[in-house]
Order: sequence, then C-alpha cells, then structure tokens
Amino acid sequence: MADFKDVPLKTIQVQALVVMKIVKHCSASFPTTATGSIAGMDQDGVLDITNSFPFPTADVVNVEGNHQNDASALAAAAPRAKANVAYQNEMIRHLKEVNADANNVGWYTSATMGNFVNLGFIENQYHYQRENDKTVALVHDVSRSSQGALSLRAFKLTTTFMTAYKEGKFTTESLQKSKLTFRDIFTELPVHLHNSHLLTAFLHQIPAKPTTSEVAMPTSLADLQNNPIQMPLYPSADNLDLSIDPFLEKTCDLLLDSIESHYTELNNYQYYQRQLAREQTKITAWQTKRKSENAARVAAKQQPLPEDEWQRIFKLPQEPSRLEGMLNAKQVEQYSKQVDGFTACISAKMFAVRGNLLPE
Amino acid sequence: MATVDSGPFLHLSRPLAPSTFNFQNTLAPLLVNIQPQAILSILDHAVRRDIPATPTTSSRVIGALIGTRSEDGSDVSVVSSFAIPHTENEDQVEVDVEYQKNMLSLQLKANPRETLLGWYTTSPELNSFSALIQNFFASPETGTFPHPAVHLTVSTEPGADVQLRAYISSPVAVNAERAAESCLFVQVPHKLAYNDAERSALDLISSAKDNESRAAPIGSDIESLARSLESTIDLLDRVSEFVSAIIDEEQEPNNALGQYLMSALALAPKVDPVQIEADFNNHVQDVLMVSYLANSIRTQIDLSQRLATAILSNDGVEVKDGEKGERGERGERGGRGGKRGGRGGGRGGGQQREPREPREPREPRESREPRESVE
Repeated sequence: MADFKDVPLKTIQVQALVVMKIVKHCSASFPTTATGSIAGMDQDGVLDITNSFPFPTADVVNVEGNHQNDASALAAAAPRAKANVAYQNEMIRHLKEVNADANNVGWYTSATMGNFVNLGFIENQYHYQRENDKTVALVHDVSRSSQGALSLRAFKLTTTFMTAYKEGKFTTESLQKSKLTFRDIFTELPVHLHNSHLLTAFLHQIPAKPTTSEVAMPTSLADLQNNPIQMPLYPSADNLDLSIDPFLEKTCDLLLDSIESHYTELNNYQYYQRQLAREQTKITAWQTKRKSENAARVAAKQQPLPEDEWQRIFKLPQEPSRLEGMLNAKQVEQYSKQVDGFTACISAKMFAVRGNLLPE
Repeated sequence: MATVDSGPFLHLSRPLAPSTFNFQNTLAPLLVNIQPQAILSILDHAVRRDIPATPTTSSRVIGALIGTRSEDGSDVSVVSSFAIPHTENEDQVEVDVEYQKNMLSLQLKANPRETLLGWYTTSPELNSFSALIQNFFASPETGTFPHPAVHLTVSTEPGADVQLRAYISSPVAVNAERAAESCLFVQVPHKLAYNDAERSALDLISSAKDNESRAAPIGSDIESLARSLESTIDLLDRVSEFVSAIIDEEQEPNNALGQYLMSALALAPKVDPVQIEADFNNHVQDVLMVSYLANSIRTQIDLSQRLATAILSNDGVEVKDGEKGERGERGERGGRGGKRGGRGGGRGGGQQREPREPREPREPRESREPRESVE
C-alpha cells in the first residue's frame, strides 16, 4: 500500500467472462436497453474488469409489450436508482466471498447503432465518477456486433466536464470561459480483451483449424452434408455478410433525428434571444424614460430617482442550457464516424462482389 | 444456433425413482445446453479458488447453475452460474446454504425468467460428497424438485483438456437412512450452444488464444473485415491447390468433395455484366453519398457549436442575434447539403422560419437513399 500512486486510467482490460456476460445480457434484452454494473480493479493505469452483473429491471417485464420505451427508460435510469445501488452493494459483497474483485468500477449499457450519447448516459456516468474517478462506462453496441466485429467501447467523462456538470451551468458565457466543446465531454479509452490461462486451454479445444495435415476424405456427398466441417471461431466469416444497407439506413434515420433535435435546440435558443432582445429594448426604454424624468427632477430641484430599479421591475429570461446541444453534436459526430466505418467496409465488399460476378 | 458437441458416451436412461418420488417418472433432462458464459464463469471461479490442492483435501470449487427449462423439461439450457463458498476435507463438507439462497435470489431478481438448474464442480470425480450436495440441490425445499438437478463437472487439471460432463441423478441406497448421502449419477448428453450475438464475442475471445499475452485489442470493423478476407482467400487457395493437385494426378481424387465443390460453384449467379456494372456504380455512389452527407452534417453541426460559443468582439445582443440566425441557416445547409452539393444557400440573416421549408422534401429522400440501392 506504500506506493499507492494516483495514475490516471490509460487502458481498459476486459476479461472474457465480462464480455460474454455483457453480450448475453444486452442481446437477450434487445431492443430494450440493458444496464448493469461492472467490478474489477485498477493498477498502474490499467483498469482490469473481471466481473459484471445485470441490474434488475423491476416488474416492467410483465407489462404488455408496447411499453418497450418505458422499459428502456427504466433500464437506462437503473444505474442511479437507489434500489440498484443497494443491489449492487449486496452483489459485490457476495462476490467478495468467492474471491472475486469486489470493487465497483463503473457500469455498462447496451446501445443500438451508437445512439448512447444522451443525458441519461451522462447522468449515470456522473453518478459513478463523482464518487470514484476511476470508473468507466462500457458501451456494447448490439446491432453493430450482430454484423461481425464485436463493438465494446469504454468511456469516461473528462474532468473539465465533471466540474461544469457539477455546477450545472452550460450557458454561452460559462462555455466560453471553460473552453468546453462537445469534443471534451468524454474520452474514449482503448479496450483490450484478456483471457485466463484456463480459458485459453479451453478455447484450444473448441473447433479450430485441423492440426494434422492428413484429413480423412469423405466417402459420399451425404457424408459431407450431414457432418459439416465446424468453422473455427476465429477468424470468422460472419462479417463478410453483404447486407450492410439496413445498418446504413438506420444510421441515416438516427442522423435525421439528431438534426431534428438540433433544430429544436436552435429554435429554443432563438426564442430565448428574441425574448432577451425584447426585454432589453424595454429596459432601455425604461432607462431613457427614467433619465429624462431625473433630468426633469434635477431641474425642478428634486431628489433624483434611483436608476437601477429596472433590475427589480424587469426579469431577464433564463438562458437555456447548452448541454443538450453539445450532446447532440457529439452524437452526430458519433453517427458520421459510424457511417464512415460502414462505408469503408461496404465499398470493399462491393468491389469484391463485382470482381466475383464480372469476368476479367 | 451453432453447437459444439461432446464426445461419445453410453447414454442410459436413469432408473425410475422409488416410492417417495414415484410421480416423477420422466427421464428428463435428456439434453443440457450450456452457454459459453456459464463455462467462462465456472473457469473464472476455478482460477479464483483459494485453497491449493493437498493430498487430503480437494481444491475443487462448487457453484450453482441457473438457466431455463423447456416446457416438458427435456431440454435445459444453462445460462449462467454463480460461485458458492464451501469447505471440504476428508470427512466432511460444508456448503454455505445461506449464501446460496441469497445469491440465488439476487440473480433471479435481475433475470426473473431463469431458475435454479443444478450445480457444478471443478473436478471430474464423483464421490459421496457429490451425492450429498446433489441431493441438496435436488431436494424439494432447496433445490430443483420435481425436476432433476443437473450436475456439471468441469475438469480443471493443469496440463489436461478441460472436460465437461453433465449428470442427473437417481436416489439409491441400501437403506432409508443412507438415502441422503448416496445417489446414482447418470450421464446425460450436453453441448455448448451459442447464438449469433455471442458468436462475435467468441470470435474476439478466441482471437486472443494464440497470443503470448492472452490479450487482444477490440479493433474496428475494417480490421476484422481484412482478417476475414485474408482467411477466406487462404481457404480458397487451399481448395484450388487441392484441386490442381488432383488434376496433376498427384493426389487421389475424391468424388464426394468434387460433387460438393461443383454444387458450391453452381450457386454463383449468372448475370449480365452491363447490368452488374450499372448496379454496382449506382450502389457505390449511393453509399459514398451517404457518407459524404454524414460528414458534411458533422462539419455543419461542429461549426454551429463553435459559433454558438464563439467570443464576439462586439457587445450587444443584436450581433449575437444575427449570428444566431446565421447559425440556423448553416445548420440547415448541412442537412440540405446532399441536394446542393453542400454549397448552396450561403445567405446569412435571420430568416428563422426559412429552414422549415426545404426540410420536408429532404427527409424522405435522404432516408430512402440506402433503400433504393438495395437490390
């Protein structure tokens, strides 16, 4: 304990068990959002995540199916619900008894096509990071994982954002002062996967490339069809799937939604500004009136009336928070990067298909 | 659902239970599906055991299996597991029953559809303690009754393969007093089952299996695509090597493989090259357009955010207001950029209502683009 230095987190190391548990939980509850807690330990800037467990989503299961959004909302709010904090502590206490790492190091959530940047996400992560700076949010994208490569990312709020969020002020002025932009809301940390020795041994048992060069030849076609060769788990051929258009389409839809909310934000702000301008004109009018009145009073040798009374009479409208807009911008950035990724994959595949179908 | 089967063994039906259990006359479960995360959790627990093995005590750890049962109970799938602390020496075994009860209720709170299925241990041997624990898990008060409890053994001997075996049990005893501590284990078939969602995770996990560090980075889509393509090309090369070896009469031909390859090749569609060329160009253009649009939207939103917090030299709300209007205009242009190449409509000014109009036709158009291109 002597050299217990405070090293900022640099990388996240996720145990295979955690990956499997998160994937199972998120895909089982898809399309409803799933959230859970993760446990682990940090050492020399590496956060080792060794266990995870889902949060109970109380009683929403037996509500009829079309309350899906309610369930999602409930699950999304789960990490900061009081009951779940208790659940989490209880679970961690139990895990401690069987030698598991008994530190809560954050939470995980599922996402669809990268649509996780929202107020709830920020609030949850703030809730965790307020108490312990070394906590992260793992985001597993179910839709993206289904078409090949697993998508698991780790995020953490920046210190600048933490202070700004603590004060709860996201006005133009405060943003100018803190130089906070939407790029600085959170940082993404590189995620690595780690297996135990025992697991490595186990993995070598499940199908892999044949080790011997001599393979027994099948005797008939039926033989081959009845006992298909098991493809090795890695590298998989799943991500050669050509149907990427639905993903692109969905992302476009989400992008449009983002633009929509961008407009709402703009309109809100414009409304505020018009309101402000109106008030300002009124104040100026009042001030000139008071000034001329005072001039008249001075001329009449009377006591001049105070000139700062307008602060009491007029109330300036509250500036809307810029946070929503910032998050939206972040979300758009996220989507467009995603589209870039899809485009890169699909164009490569397209050329492959053309090469295949067209004679040289 | 893909599966990994276990090795062959003699599958016996278990003897029917004697009088006290006489209404339980199913032979179920006949098949145990084990999901990978349950195994991973068991292996993790095995690594975290605290007592090293001594000649007199075993170093095995135990835990409970939870999951779902099919309606007739003939098919169980083990979804997850949790560890239970226990101590074991030559003549006695202690299982933390209280812990098991609490943990089970915690687990079931999060997954209300799952139930207790049985238990696991990390040594392949079955002894009288196993029977004792098995009877505990199968009993009506604390266990899975009327369904039989599943016992899964996972051998975790260093230097040997990890072997899985699944059992169910029947009560046997020479007399009634000894019934609590003895039972007959009957092996049942099991398989490792995983679905598509878990497939990608397993893919990643097994990508680390040949690394010295046992670690693998979670890469981007394009990296994994490159890997897949490489391995596919490699496979194709091997097949063509095999075929040319046969043609050169260096290798014994195999009719079945030949037939198989022929039928695979016959699946290639016959298409008109001109048509393909046109479709291809259309689609690539669509895709690139979507990408271009997304990026221009990003730039516009970025710009709009920057302008929103830009420090203005002039004081006064009027200036800000003007800038505001321009912001609206700019954000709008970003969305509309697709049709005008992102260059049109550079007028500033505060026509705040103006953005509304062009949006209506744009929306369906843009979202339709990828759809159009689906052949």
